[in-house]
Amino acid sequence: MKRHSGLFDVALGALALVSLGIIYAPLAVVWVFSNWQPVRVRGALQLAPFSWDSYVALTRNADILGALGTTLLVGLVSMLLALILATTFAMYYWRTVGVSRQIMQALVFLPFLLPPIVVGLSLLIAFRELDATRGAFTIVVGHTVLLVPVVYRLVLTRLNSLSPSLTEASLDLGASHCQTFYHILLPQLGSALLAGALLGFAISFDETMVTLFLSGSTSTLPIRLWSMMRLGFVPEINALATLVVLAAALATAVFGVMQLPGKRGAR
Amino acid sequence: MNQRSDVLTLEAVGKSFGTTTVLRDISLSVASNEFLTILGPSGSGKTTILRLIAGFEAPTTGRIMLDGADISQMPINRRPFNTVFQDYALFPHLSVRRNVGYGLMVRGVPKAEIGPRVEAVLAIVGLQDYALRLPRELSGGQRQRVALARAIICEPRVILLDEPLAALDVALRAQMCKFLKDIQRRLDIAFVFITHDQQEAIAMSDRIVVMRDGRIEQIGGPEELYGFPASRFVAGFFGENNLIDGVVRAIDGARCEVETPIGPLWGVTCGPAAAVGAEVHLSIRPEALVPGATEGHRFLVRDAQFAGPTTLIEAQGVEAPEVTLRLRLPSGGTRALPSVGDVVAIGWSEADARVIAAEGSNG
Ligand SMILES: Nc1ncnc2c1ncn2[C@@H]1O[C@H](COP(=O)(O)OP(=O)(O)O)[C@@H](O)[C@H]1O
Ligand SMILES: [Mg+2]
Repeated sequence: MKRHSGLFDVALGALALVSLGIIYAPLAVVWVFSNWQPVRVRGALQLAPFSWDSYVALTRNADILGALGTTLLVGLVSMLLALILATTFAMYYWRTVGVSRQIMQALVFLPFLLPPIVVGLSLLIAFRELDATRGAFTIVVGHTVLLVPVVYRLVLTRLNSLSPSLTEASLDLGASHCQTFYHILLPQLGSALLAGALLGFAISFDETMVTLFLSGSTSTLPIRLWSMMRLGFVPEINALATLVVLAAALATAVFGVMQLPGKRGAR
Repeated sequence: MNQRSDVLTLEAVGKSFGTTTVLRDISLSVASNEFLTILGPSGSGKTTILRLIAGFEAPTTGRIMLDGADISQMPINRRPFNTVFQDYALFPHLSVRRNVGYGLMVRGVPKAEIGPRVEAVLAIVGLQDYALRLPRELSGGQRQRVALARAIICEPRVILLDEPLAALDVALRAQMCKFLKDIQRRLDIAFVFITHDQQEAIAMSDRIVVMRDGRIEQIGGPEELYGFPASRFVAGFFGENNLIDGVVRAIDGARCEVETPIGPLWGVTCGPAAAVGAEVHLSIRPEALVPGATEGHRFLVRDAQFAGPTTLIEAQGVEAPEVTLRLRLPSGGTRALPSVGDVVAIGWSEADARVIAAEGSNG
């Protein structure tokens, strides 16, 4: 039973409420503006009546939709590449001993620790030397470089928490190394890979600095928005932002449900 | 016993990790239907022997032979041995049924065949009703049985068990002891069983390998190790023992005479032959000592502890107070037990006295 905690808990609750209010207020404003478009009447701010106009406008804005498409594609591809590469690196670190794995780990982490401007610039120079046309492909390469260390860390932490006798038992029962990876390790890595996928996609989604160097004439959403700042925003941006927040909230909720204890595994 | 045929042989196997030598000169063989126990204190190298046999580690020196062929370099997944791990190592995301069927599944046995075989093995270990459970939904004893079922379904030549009973409580342990022994007899295959518990070893084994500091101290049947310990270490490892220090005075075949504080005594030599002048221990089991013998050495009873069917008596030499003997006597015997303060004559049959080389005198 709780005792003597009334006033203190009320204070804590109030503080939390105010902080969350400050964090979420701008999001609420964006959502309100997406349905009730702000208009200036003789210099004073007023809201137009409720409408889906900005959403309709969004569906017709090929510029923004194109940038969104590139962003989604780049996020998906670089996330998948990062999952594969990071799992490979983490497995190598986990299974071996010695200096080579330490060197590999340092190299994997380095792009994450370097300032993005250095990573972006060096990739730009490299691509120019290679005569690679800048576009979605070069952005994917840049993003993958940034995502690998994040996913690597998640996968390695999970691997280290596994009992070594799990793999040994599988080999002992006659499985090959590939079978052991597929039937035993991969299912154990599931939640780490899911977390890595979500986090990786989120990072790729709003990555700007490195993307600026690598995008060429292709635009991702952050780049598009950034360039819009000079010209002023169109109303459909409010609709877009609201949808992005909704999607993020949905993904977080799905992830949270999947992490709930008591979930039954495959039978 | 019919003709002994060895399935597994270790020939002078040694193992070092970097500069630390963990095993030295391990030579032993396992008969095709034998329950062999490797017994030794923690850190004596038991698990390492098992890991060498299973193939998780490669021997630094020596050879491991299966049916007379060297398998030291054979990959783990090709060796006809299966391991029951100390922590069971059940696959947490797979049901009991899928855990047990795993060995068949990865070998490409058709699904239609796996089902019935899993059922059959689960019946042997008494877990038919638990096929759909996950490992975390089982008790310790049940997990143990799943681990065993998962090993025996592969029909290995040898099953390797690393302290499988250590994690169980005492009552369950006794039950599992009997269960393991029953299964081993029924399957008629070899078990190599690791334990640090001498009672488990005595209860189950056909033969016991006593390990100490990475070496084999003695190999023999339970009666042999109990009755004829080759070293003080073995003598102390199996049950209670009385050790009287002395020096060899005379040798007569397998017998020798030892000068002790309570006078010259004859005993049977165990282990390496003693030389005149060598420091030895005379070892006599507490149950071999007889009080009130007509001829014997005079001892003062210091303590008497009732322990159900037997009573443990502690007595100190009257002429040689540095010698203390412990006697285990039947509590409900026809003769009255000596009580504290009594002076009794203690005797024993010469055949029950063993002469064991003292530590350090035999390298
Ligand atoms: N991989 C290893 N590297 C270094 N030393 C080890 C390794 N495995 C075991 N040892 C050492 O070998 C000795 C014997 O270990 P082990 O075989 O596990 O003993 P037991 O099973 O009898 O307790 C211990 O001192 C242990 O520290
Ligand atoms: Mg051990």
